[in-house]
Amino acid sequence: MKILELKNVNKIYNGSEVHVHAVNDVSLEFREAEFAAIVGPSGSGKTTLLNLIGGLDMPTSGSIIIDGTDLSKLKSSQLIDFRMRNIGFVFQAYNLIPVLTARENVEFIMSLQKWSKRERDERTFELLKAVGLDERADSRPSKLSGGQQQRVAVARALASKPKFVLADEPTANLDSKSATTLLEIMEKLNHEEKITFIFSTHDPRVVKMAHRVITLVDGSVATDEIRE
Amino acid sequence: MILKTAWKNVWRNRVRSLVVIASVTVGIFAGVFSVAFMNGMIAQRFDAAIDEEISHIQITGKDYVLNNDPSIYMNSGDGIVQTVSVIPGVEQVVVRKMITGMAGTASKSAGVQIIGIDPDAEKRIFKLYKTIIPGTGDYFERESKYELAFIGQDLAKELNIIRFSVDITVLSRLGEKEVPVEIIHKLKSISGRRFPNEKKFTSTVTSILTKRELKEYGQLIKEEAWSYRENSRMTLTFLDKDNNQVSSVFRIAGIFDIKNTMFEQSQVFLRNEVISRLTGMDESSFHQVVIRITDIRNSESITEDIRSRFPELDVKNWKELQPDLAMMTDYVHQIYGLFMGIILAALAFGIINTMLMVVLERTKELGMLTAIGMNKRKVFSMIMLESVFLSITGGIAGMIAGWITIILTAKKGINFTQYAEGMEAFGYSAHIFPEISTSFFVMVTVLIIITGVVSSVYPALKALKLDPAEAIRTE
Ligand SMILES: Nc1ncnc2c1ncn2[C@@H]1O[C@H](COP(=O)(O)OP(=O)(O)OP(=O)(O)O)[C@@H](O)[C@H]1O
Ligand SMILES: [Mg+2]
Repeated sequence: MKILELKNVNKIYNGSEVHVHAVNDVSLEFREAEFAAIVGPSGSGKTTLLNLIGGLDMPTSGSIIIDGTDLSKLKSSQLIDFRMRNIGFVFQAYNLIPVLTARENVEFIMSLQKWSKRERDERTFELLKAVGLDERADSRPSKLSGGQQQRVAVARALASKPKFVLADEPTANLDSKSATTLLEIMEKLNHEEKITFIFSTHDPRVVKMAHRVITLVDGSVATDEIRE
Repeated sequence: MILKTAWKNVWRNRVRSLVVIASVTVGIFAGVFSVAFMNGMIAQRFDAAIDEEISHIQITGKDYVLNNDPSIYMNSGDGIVQTVSVIPGVEQVVVRKMITGMAGTASKSAGVQIIGIDPDAEKRIFKLYKTIIPGTGDYFERESKYELAFIGQDLAKELNIIRFSVDITVLSRLGEKEVPVEIIHKLKSISGRRFPNEKKFTSTVTSILTKRELKEYGQLIKEEAWSYRENSRMTLTFLDKDNNQVSSVFRIAGIFDIKNTMFEQSQVFLRNEVISRLTGMDESSFHQVVIRITDIRNSESITEDIRSRFPELDVKNWKELQPDLAMMTDYVHQIYGLFMGIILAALAFGIINTMLMVVLERTKELGMLTAIGMNKRKVFSMIMLESVFLSITGGIAGMIAGWITIILTAKKGINFTQYAEGMEAFGYSAHIFPEISTSFFVMVTVLIIITGVVSSVYPALKALKLDPAEAIRTE
């Protein structure tokens, strides 16, 4: 089932002197339960593309359709709400609220969505167990390693059962062992929860684990290969 | 969840938040306590004016107050009293005769207002009889074959009826009260000397003692050094009803001590019948009718009522008799509000500044929160709650501190002995008992919450302007 479609998406940054064509006529489709990596040299437009898909930024032209909804048709307040319900995010850093515990960070979105306490507790426990941190549920982010923090972020991203999870260089600040662990967890969740993961990365070992690899060069899709 | 997060966020930068909270605490404390102090001062002045000096309503002949002319009197005092007494809300009515004259002793004389009263009735309106200095007599209670006059402490000092001297007995009393020997030794040099007045005595003592000694023992020395001879005499000179000068010798009935120098210096009280006898004025004629009512809030309506019954007389309520006091009690709440407003405005700037820093520091985090779906209203309320927490914790701490201080000081009061002279010249006591109403605390609480909310608006709006894509872009 098609959950995400990009049609001739362009993003041009208009500076005072230079115009940067960061995303150049990209058309892509994603289906349920994909595990896709976006790769490419620095400045090739990975972050920009993920921001467009996530509705954090608006394309200069083209359309992005998530589960039948065209993002450009949404008002900014609707867009925030739409993100909350449909998209999970994992960023490179600054993922967690430092004053809240791992458990509370995962709960946060659910409480914004007014889930009942029981539902929240169940889902939080389930997710923290899935990322292997049920023992550390009451630790604050500062007491967790970088890898553990990213695992909490993954749990948080999945909390509200989104259509897909976007992760921009989730392993960039991690050592290779933590990076592999994180990817294994993501892959497991992808399999168990049937949730699509789209992540950008520079790390060849991470790329190796992806089921689909999209390569960007100068904002355009150079290759798009599916491997099993 | 947002509430909890906001509260935890307050404690992220513990030191900074504590500094803000502490400054709010200090500001509110200072404000609340100063207001209680001013309030106590005004309330005391108000009570003194009503209970000792003017009461609620006064009736005189037309223009008596303006001219102070003893020939402007009311003929049928009893009739007026009867009419006024039955007006609902009137508690007590007394009549007074008033003439001007000179009070003199062998060494001094002073112009005074001589007031004829009925002591038993007067006691039910004025508390002057409760302010008698122990050992100086009573309020026309004892039998005496002499004419008696009741006077104020400052007049007694002026007329040298109260004297200051340091003799052997004073020195030994000071010794008993553990005044150091070197001070007693210094005081011996002025032993036996007579001083023409209090000022002279004070300046002499000041010149022989050091500043520290004065500060510590000055008050005590003064208290011990004054003396009053029982049955002191005083001559009153005034005009009788045919404008002949009359002089008569009086004994001091008692000496009252209130916190109003002017009043103490100028008022001499005699029995009504004594004035009648000496001036030949009719027994049933009076210059002034003084009325106490049960509820001061009715003073205007009752005044109107009396006025309509006696259009030919002057009827004045306390507000008209002491316009400055009336103005003070009328506007005092606005002044307190303004005062607290200024303090809170200053605090608001501190809070705004801090919260702007908070928003700036948390750009990425706030961007992340918007990205994952926290809407503008929620981001706004989170920042707003943080500011409100800052101001409320500080505000409550300040109010509690202020309230405790008020309770502690209200019992014994705060005594500014060194400023007594200046303050009593304006009728204000130098011994102040801070007091405050619950409604004031409610008002301050509301103001603090408003301050917190208002000062959060700008930083919170700043937080909304953040673009999530920009905010989370990592370099
Ligand atoms: N806000 C912006 N304004 C102007 N130019 C921008 C902006 N954001 C990105 N760019 C430019 O767009 C291009 C694509 O940037 P982007 O950050 O998407 O690349 P990337 O593939 O994520 O690179 P990296 O691997 O370094 O993270 C770059 O040339 C960058 O300089
Ligand atoms: Mg990037």
